[in-house]
Amino acid sequence: MSLHVAFDGITKEFGAVRVLHGVSFDLQPGRVHGLLGENGAGKSTLMKILAGYHAPTTGTLSIGGEPVRLAGSRAAEERGIVLIHQELNLADDLTVTQNMFLGHELRRGWLLDERAMRERAAHALAQVGFDGDPDGKVGDLIVAEKQLVEIAKAQLRNARLLIMDEPTASLTPSECERLFGLIDRLRRDGVTVVYISHKLDEVERITDEVIVMRDGRFVARAPTAETSRQRMATLMVGRELTDMFPDRQPPQPSARPLLSVRDVTVPGWAENVSFDLQPGEILGFAGLVGAGRTELFEGLLGLRPRSGGGIEIDGRTVRLRNPREAMRNGLTYLSEDRKGKGLHVGMRLRDNLTLMTLPRHARPLLSSRSETDALDRAVADFGIRGDPQGVAASLSGGNQQKLAIAKFLQPDPRVFVLDEPTRGVDVGAKRDIYFLIARLAAQGRGVIVISSELIELIGLCHRVIVMRGRRAVATVPAERLSEEELIAHAIGTHTRH
Amino acid sequence: MSAFAKLTRRAVLGGGLAAATALGLGGSALAADAVKLGVSIPAATHGFTGGIVWWANEAKKELEKAHPNLKITVKTASGAPEQANQLQDLVTVTKIDSLVIFPFESAALTQPVAQAKKKGVYVTVVDRGLTDPSAQDAYIAGDNTAFGRIPAEHIAKTFNGKANVVALRGMPTTLDNERWDAFTAVMKQHPDIKILDAKYANWNRDDAFKVTQDFLTRFKDIDVVWAADDDMAFGVLKAIEQAKRTDIKEVFGGAGSKTMVKTILDGSNPLIRADVSYSPKFIYDAIKMTAEARLKGQALPATHIIPSALITKENAKEFYFPDSPY
Amino acid sequence: MPSAPTPVTDTPGGAAAGGTGARRPVRRFDPLLYGPFIGLLLLLAVGTALNPDFATWDNWMNVLTRTAFIGIIAIGMCFVIISGGIDLSVGSMAALIAGATILMMNALSGLLLSSVAVVALGMLFAVALGGGFGLAHGYLITRGQIEPFIVTLGTLGIFRAVLTWLADGGAITLDMTLSDVYGPVYYGSLLGIPIPVWIFALAALAGGLLLNRTAFGRYVQAIGSNEQVARFAAVDVDRVKLLTYGLLGVCVGVATVLYVPRLGSASPTTGLLWELEAIAAVIVGGTSFKGGAGRIAGTVVGAILLSVISNILNLTSVISVYLNAAVQGCVIIAVAFLQRRRP
Repeated sequence: MSLHVAFDGITKEFGAVRVLHGVSFDLQPGRVHGLLGENGAGKSTLMKILAGYHAPTTGTLSIGGEPVRLAGSRAAEERGIVLIHQELNLADDLTVTQNMFLGHELRRGWLLDERAMRERAAHALAQVGFDGDPDGKVGDLIVAEKQLVEIAKAQLRNARLLIMDEPTASLTPSECERLFGLIDRLRRDGVTVVYISHKLDEVERITDEVIVMRDGRFVARAPTAETSRQRMATLMVGRELTDMFPDRQPPQPSARPLLSVRDVTVPGWAENVSFDLQPGEILGFAGLVGAGRTELFEGLLGLRPRSGGGIEIDGRTVRLRNPREAMRNGLTYLSEDRKGKGLHVGMRLRDNLTLMTLPRHARPLLSSRSETDALDRAVADFGIRGDPQGVAASLSGGNQQKLAIAKFLQPDPRVFVLDEPTRGVDVGAKRDIYFLIARLAAQGRGVIVISSELIELIGLCHRVIVMRGRRAVATVPAERLSEEELIAHAIGTHTRH
Repeated sequence: MSAFAKLTRRAVLGGGLAAATALGLGGSALAADAVKLGVSIPAATHGFTGGIVWWANEAKKELEKAHPNLKITVKTASGAPEQANQLQDLVTVTKIDSLVIFPFESAALTQPVAQAKKKGVYVTVVDRGLTDPSAQDAYIAGDNTAFGRIPAEHIAKTFNGKANVVALRGMPTTLDNERWDAFTAVMKQHPDIKILDAKYANWNRDDAFKVTQDFLTRFKDIDVVWAADDDMAFGVLKAIEQAKRTDIKEVFGGAGSKTMVKTILDGSNPLIRADVSYSPKFIYDAIKMTAEARLKGQALPATHIIPSALITKENAKEFYFPDSPY
Repeated sequence: MPSAPTPVTDTPGGAAAGGTGARRPVRRFDPLLYGPFIGLLLLLAVGTALNPDFATWDNWMNVLTRTAFIGIIAIGMCFVIISGGIDLSVGSMAALIAGATILMMNALSGLLLSSVAVVALGMLFAVALGGGFGLAHGYLITRGQIEPFIVTLGTLGIFRAVLTWLADGGAITLDMTLSDVYGPVYYGSLLGIPIPVWIFALAALAGGLLLNRTAFGRYVQAIGSNEQVARFAAVDVDRVKLLTYGLLGVCVGVATVLYVPRLGSASPTTGLLWELEAIAAVIVGGTSFKGGAGRIAGTVVGAILLSVISNILNLTSVISVYLNAAVQGCVIIAVAFLQRRRP
């Protein structure tokens, strides 16, 4: 059932760029491997080679002791190797069953055998604990359910080696639990799992062994039980991380709040939410996916219909009907969906950076020099690493996020809202972003951080508002912040003191 | 034989008319009394079809005024399928008993017309014959052979059998082929007349302008341009004017449009000396002939070709209709 | 401190090494970017070989002059397509503007106005009408939230039908006196180059500046690349889209100003299929049909390329006239192949 995979001296070049430099290690059958490394370390490329999407430039991939050349992902699947992408690869308009059999449809003569497909799909879905409708459209599912569909699909293909790339990036704690249970079961069935994640607590929890890569090279492997999170982070970054979070500076005393939101309702998503934000304060928003946090802020920006309530910035009542008015009033919002709402990944760094403040560079024709200067400043200020002439997609996740932050700071907002600021970002860049957020607050701006990573809310914020079922149910001050406290409010088991 | 049978039937019907009305019988007797004529023609998309629509409506106006018991319904279509649908509506909804149709395409409309005829509708087909002539009672058309022959003969005569000719063609259709074949057939008898080249210009002024520009670039000595259509001739003249070429002595259009006939009449452009008639008025003639024959209960001759004539300064007056749009 | 953010620009030509399959776009020299230019050069060579008259100044001026209408419209179309939209109505719009303008000028010339004034008013009217039609499109698309394909498919029919109705199915013809005054706008030359070619060149230059050197142009690209991202980045998406359609309408108006004096008439066949030619010019020129990225220079070359094909076909008898459209189709596909995007 299991299979043994070995990489031997694998290199990979894209044009003149070498992204893997002779990687050699093997994967033990039936174990869960945590594959760690900063973005750009080469993890994804190596796994794409294993799953048949790329061919190595030099080096050998052996499966079951026999050197192979995979002609494509289909060839890999036939050997039982399935990669579940970070951006799930499902067609939203097809049903769950149709997706699971896409490209492998069962036929009876000329016609599709719908019944057999539905039965087999239902069986595989039941095994992974999916309780939705196999005939429902994938587009109607939440991310966690899509993930289960992907895994069930892999099961249908008799996967013996499953590669998961950041599977919990958009899962809530309880959904994560379900996934971990499933991985446990896969391991018991003898399936080999490669688990790529930036969340070290998860890696610590469910993997048997960690393998660390850095700069396209293999760095170390060790049994998980013998490796502390601190050690993992140090291995990934290649230097000591004394402290992930900056020291908390108290907010500046102020006569009136910088931002005051009163009884705002975003129909279907948030009801009667009120809060204040002081200058220099970092305010967290916690809650399960679907609690209405993102939608509340999209509503405040006028991107969703908003009813009732009032918004004051610096004591002035403001009308925010679209992001443009919000920007003019000193409020910008960086979405959690970096590629869908934050950055034009196909456009160049410079064009991304200056998009919100183009009139500043127009005299009246746009000055290339002025824009390039702005980029040079941002690259230095925010530590963006990558080709300054390239497109945003060429940057690693962490550097894309730094660029996105720089972009939404160009208008010099007084209030800056960051939604999931460290999603898909490596440890080193995470730390940079935390320190940056602290710096913004120290400058007297108000910063709002929406996050599903409780650790970062606890390490960073002065106060955290917890949302559950469209309402702000609790405000937790810094001294009482703990994972238990926040989870209890988020799922509604908190008992009042 | 069948025409005779029809004639007699109609004569019987006509003869029995008075008696039938007196007896209060409805149905076919009353239908013959009040003729419901349907006219199905292409929508006005260029000069010629614009003329068709105008003349059809002209016929409706005049004939309905002259014959209170005549009702004419004019339908325009912008494609063969639409025309087939309209045909159905005319038969089932408007309940016509006679039809004058200018078909978009011969093949595509043969069946729908045959269906209408089967339901007892008297069918006159105009301009383009159906692929199965038994689906029509009468056929009235302009003379496409003469449309090509007359200009060829005119050119041969004017230039004494020696000239360099470039030609424009319309669109690749049987209609265009007939004209072109007739034109080249005459030219074959004059070995000194050289047809330098012929290109399609889609019966369109702009395309004619472009094609002519390129002809002028390519051929340094041209005597005549056979534009094969008055609209296209318009574009040809503009291109010649722009190039300031003096070698060209005549531009021959076709169809006898109002502006072209006026130009000949006034002698206002030395390049325009003659034209060949192929007037959209034949739809007027067809409607009139059909309506009057049906009112009298008569049949039309199976085929009626409206002759094309050479229009020159001498006879241009007869072909000038200032009110027509074409 | 970050390692190497100091802007070290590549030495020219150096980036071409390797070329294919590079993850980042190769910047300094990318042969794929030059597909339409290569295609045009090849066509020029073929044309010259087939007929020496092809390579004459007069012929080239003829070709450029007749390209001017489609070319100017294609420049406007380029903006619309880059923003992720489409306009199918431009041919009908040009026809209606031409017809309405001629009718207006004929009517005005009866009043005590000089012919020059009438023609000037007519030109202004044409451009304003085009802009108005374009803004109406933009309004229906942004406020009405109707797909641009549907809106402009609708107006494609409406514009042409109204013209046909105005013309009674025939042609609308400009009065002779006005025609003489107006004629030089198409037939006249400046420094040996026909006026329409000058206007075409100016439009291309202005279009290039607008697209690449103004905030508006950047917004257009940003919206086409990803409308959501642009919206979140405080771009007034609706207004920018509205303006792209308005701009295209103005381009159609300008093209019509040049078209009317050519034949001095408008008929139901005026501008037939111009929309397809304009769209083809834009796409052949290397603009992505999906929007986001595009080039004015490519569009100009694309438009010229299309008219050069028919010019060559008219100048030779090598290929049966029945196959003209097939030759055009092959060239279009071949050029698209030359500049296709990497998978």
